[in-house]
Amino acid sequence: MGENDKMYRFLNPVGIQEPVELHPLAPRLKTLDGARITMSVGAGGEQGILIPLVKMLPEKYPQVKWNISYAAAHATKAGSLALTEEEVKTTDALIRGVVW
Amino acid sequence: MSSIEKAGIPSVFIIFEDQDECWRQACRLNGVPDMRRVWGSRHVPGPEDVESWIDDLLDELVRPLTEEEKNPPEWDISNPRYIFEGTLLEAQEFFKQAEHIPQLYNNAPICKYTDGLPVVAPTEELVERMLKGTSHKPDEIITYHADHRAGDRIEQMGSSGKKGEPVYFMPMRRKATVEKIATIGVMAGCEPEHMPLLLAIAEAGGGCGDGRGGDMFVVSGPYAREIDMNFDTNVLGPGNQANRAIGRAAELMWRNLGGNIPNVTNCGVWGSGLFNCIPENDDALPPGWASLREEYDFGKDESCVYNLRIHHCRTLQRTEFMPGGYREFQKSGHGGIGRRLGVKGIPGPHNWMEYFVDSLWKNWEGGKTFFMLPEMARDLQLYGFKTKDEVYEWLYKKSFMTLKEYRTHQRPDVTTNAWKGIEPTSGKPWKELDEDYMVPAVADPFENCIIVTGGGEEVGLWTDGRSARSNPAYSIDAWR
Repeated sequence: MGENDKMYRFLNPVGIQEPVELHPLAPRLKTLDGARITMSVGAGGEQGILIPLVKMLPEKYPQVKWNISYAAAHATKAGSLALTEEEVKTTDALIRGVVW
Repeated sequence: MSSIEKAGIPSVFIIFEDQDECWRQACRLNGVPDMRRVWGSRHVPGPEDVESWIDDLLDELVRPLTEEEKNPPEWDISNPRYIFEGTLLEAQEFFKQAEHIPQLYNNAPICKYTDGLPVVAPTEELVERMLKGTSHKPDEIITYHADHRAGDRIEQMGSSGKKGEPVYFMPMRRKATVEKIATIGVMAGCEPEHMPLLLAIAEAGGGCGDGRGGDMFVVSGPYAREIDMNFDTNVLGPGNQANRAIGRAAELMWRNLGGNIPNVTNCGVWGSGLFNCIPENDDALPPGWASLREEYDFGKDESCVYNLRIHHCRTLQRTEFMPGGYREFQKSGHGGIGRRLGVKGIPGPHNWMEYFVDSLWKNWEGGKTFFMLPEMARDLQLYGFKTKDEVYEWLYKKSFMTLKEYRTHQRPDVTTNAWKGIEPTSGKPWKELDEDYMVPAVADPFENCIIVTGGGEEVGLWTDGRSARSNPAYSIDAWR
């Protein structure tokens, strides 16, 4: 066997992924009627989308009990929270945008 | 945001189409695959755009779950120690493998293990040789050797920055062992004596940053000489094994440890062409000016690596004058720089930063990092800046502008949370301040940074600064 035919084992450079427990999505709402939905407005840009969205949601879906909230500054821990602890208790569903 | 779904609250998000795969990967990483979303437009005006998908948005909250959404498929995370067995020639082919990425224009191929260039195939023997460059055991997990303030964004993504806790490599939040760093070192063309620095770079996040990569590294301390780094002309360019191969290893860490695949796991934009690791030139520091390691409380005889983040479209900019113009300005006050500064005919030393300082914060806030040639640093010291801190303080003071002007900048729309927050110097709400109120574009003088290095004609470089609250200097000695 020549040098070119020599067999080697090569080490794996790929990083170690920790196990992740995968969860199903939360069950959907049965109806929008009377549902308490929070619209969490992400901080900063995309006002072009978010200003009309916040206006149109209650106009188009008056049967929903809307809670419009505004997140803290972008790229902060607080800014990543879509719902406060209190809102988690009182919200049936969440709309969040724009997510960078 | 996955915690909302885990809490049993159905959700829907507004994202952009081109970021969809990154969204899916992030969802899976956070334990709730394929959280529902609709795509906003990057081009269509808001009201028209919203009208086109608002019904879909609400439908996502009521449409029953699919089987896959109820029972997410398992994720294969196996990680065998050996990745390939064969001849050297076969290994060359194996490590050249690329996969076509449908999320990239023209279905472009991206290499699975490399930066696109050939690598040294990491045989057991070569990795074993590389491991002789450190006393740390091959199976040791890369952890923080000291407390580091990693910053909100990195902490959110999983790395605490706390001593003894594992370093997670972004964007896929993976861990690594000492052996994996040695493997990557072999692939990049490094030598065993580079191991302490490679491991310190790994502790610093391995060139991955927050997943968008582009980190650059600066060595401060005697170690730079031990491994024969180039301190002089062409310090950012090719030719020196340590400068280039170690910087390349950081990029390979981003690919292999972080799992970077553009538009799949990484939503960055341009990438970065800066992948050298360079040394600070201690001998060239003007009297009284601290080295980088002293700025971060390391001893003069210790060595550290400083993680300079130039990711996400940021790059190096030059100081906008020609070398000859600089020399005439300093020697005799001749030329345009002298005329602008009102020192025509007066020999230096002059403060050359005055020439362009007003342009530094025209569009973007925050401190600046200067790559300063020894001669240009010396001119500033002779002019009167006895310490680096005096330069930092001067830059800070120069960054003040009226609120009227500040409000014409884009980024504060985000950093002030659409001007709803508190202005830090006055403690008052932004909206209550007069238009003439002066606000700094730099939050803290220490956001500025000077790195004395390189050689040759009188050209300076600058880029974004640092967070005064972070400490991106990592001990090399701890990894010997």
